[in-house]
Amino acid sequence: MNTSGDTPVIDVERLNLVYGEFHAVKNLTFQVRRGEFYALLGTNGAGKTSTLEVVEGHRTPASGTVRVFGRNPRDRAAVRPHMGIMLQESGFSPDLTVAESVRIIGALTRRDDSVDRVVDLVGLTTKARTKVSQLSGGEKRRLDFATAVYGTPELIVLDEPTTGLDIQSRDELWAAVDRLREGGTTVVLTTHYLEEAQQRADRIGLMHQGVFHREGTVAELTGALPGVITFGLPSQPLAGVPALPLHVERQPDETFRVATHRIQKDLYTLLGWAEDHGIDLIGLEAGPTRLDDVFRAID
Amino acid sequence: MLGIAYGELVQLFRNRLVLVTSFIMPIAVSAFFVYRHEIFADIGSLGYIAALVVFTVGAFGLYTTAVTTLASRRQNLFLKRLRSTALGDSGILGGLLLPVTVLATVQVVGVLIVLGVVAGGPSDVVLLAVGVVATLAMLVGFALATAGLTNSPEHAQVTTLPVAIGVIAVASWIGLTGTEDLELVKRLVPGGAATELVLNAWNGGTALSESLILLAPTFAWVFLAANLAARMFRWEPRR
Repeated sequence: MNTSGDTPVIDVERLNLVYGEFHAVKNLTFQVRRGEFYALLGTNGAGKTSTLEVVEGHRTPASGTVRVFGRNPRDRAAVRPHMGIMLQESGFSPDLTVAESVRIIGALTRRDDSVDRVVDLVGLTTKARTKVSQLSGGEKRRLDFATAVYGTPELIVLDEPTTGLDIQSRDELWAAVDRLREGGTTVVLTTHYLEEAQQRADRIGLMHQGVFHREGTVAELTGALPGVITFGLPSQPLAGVPALPLHVERQPDETFRVATHRIQKDLYTLLGWAEDHGIDLIGLEAGPTRLDDVFRAID
Repeated sequence: MLGIAYGELVQLFRNRLVLVTSFIMPIAVSAFFVYRHEIFADIGSLGYIAALVVFTVGAFGLYTTAVTTLASRRQNLFLKRLRSTALGDSGILGGLLLPVTVLATVQVVGVLIVLGVVAGGPSDVVLLAVGVVATLAMLVGFALATAGLTNSPEHAQVTTLPVAIGVIAVASWIGLTGTEDLELVKRLVPGGAATELVLNAWNGGTALSESLILLAPTFAWVFLAANLAARMFRWEPRR
């Protein structure tokens, strides 16, 4: 099996996935390179989890090919020792303890590690002897993460890893992921928290209704849309003040919005106009398009 | 596989309800048959008691427990979790079913040894072993197939009844009435030929060639159960 060199870690070619009459994924093609952090994002029902489940070997595609480390992902004995999977839902036996769950699942990954180390990594040391049935939702997600990173796999697939986690647990999880990346681990992520993808992903595949709406780096995705300047004006009438020489949209909340590909120049114009006429701009904000805006522009 | 089996064994002994259903109840019923063996031998034979023990332990200790376990592990996505590891499907199922199968086998063997000591042993131990193994294998196959139709452990209380009650009824029917009437029907119903094998093995008095004929329908049911299991078993809850 090829786990080094130029071979893509994940190679998806014209993938189609059908549930009965519903065509969930349509002709999807993408690759994930070694050491890359790839985020698969999309609207609800876009086909992200279905795609991941094919990559994980849990589903058989209607057509197309999927290769993980150059192998069929359903060849578990060959692929899984190199691949950690954090499922969207927990899937642990309620009567087993945290340590027992990590020991049993960890051993089945065919990777070597210490149960104590992994349990400590996810901050569950004090819960090691606690039954899974007595864990909170966030603690179950951390247990799930522990089994995914057991033995430091070359590839980890994280399906909405931070759902239900508090801020501190999120930070700890991402710190652990960052350490894995420093060691060369490839990461594939789906999440509804766009800022997590925006901060960390090398590339993003944006899915909508089973197809790629767009794919690229954060800069490539956001660069195609204009930057945004927003501001408010004082409530007193601006009698005798010339109109602002920019195309301004009035928002329902009485603020104003300028969408522009020349954000620096237009911001300079706006500030000059306000300074010249003695106007205090209220709540002035300016910045490039965020991933949220790319999302909103899908439809 | 042994790691999963260890986990299942731990859970079996932590869950009192499953422990009572799979271990204590079949043992208690079997102990009653052995304790009152003279009465049951009068209305049937010692072979009849042996057959009842095999099918009672098999139906409740193995079949019902296996269906409940598999439905529960699927419902809480533990099966999906196990399929996210490097272990193959047969290894996963082997690990999940090994503890209940071993426990049921130990129970059957233990109770039959006690029956042999108390009331007199079987005429043909090898034939008896074949009958027991075939019966347990058939019930494992039926358990996998029934688990495919069972959405939850609670649902298993309903879905397991037809097979569990059915095989015990067949064992009682054939144990009490013999096979002089309706021979073909009795040999073709599930567990019928296996019951007759156990009766012949324990009671003796039947030519070996007569008993060997029973292997065909017995293993046909094992094959059919395995086939149903392969077709009907599901790894994930219905979407």
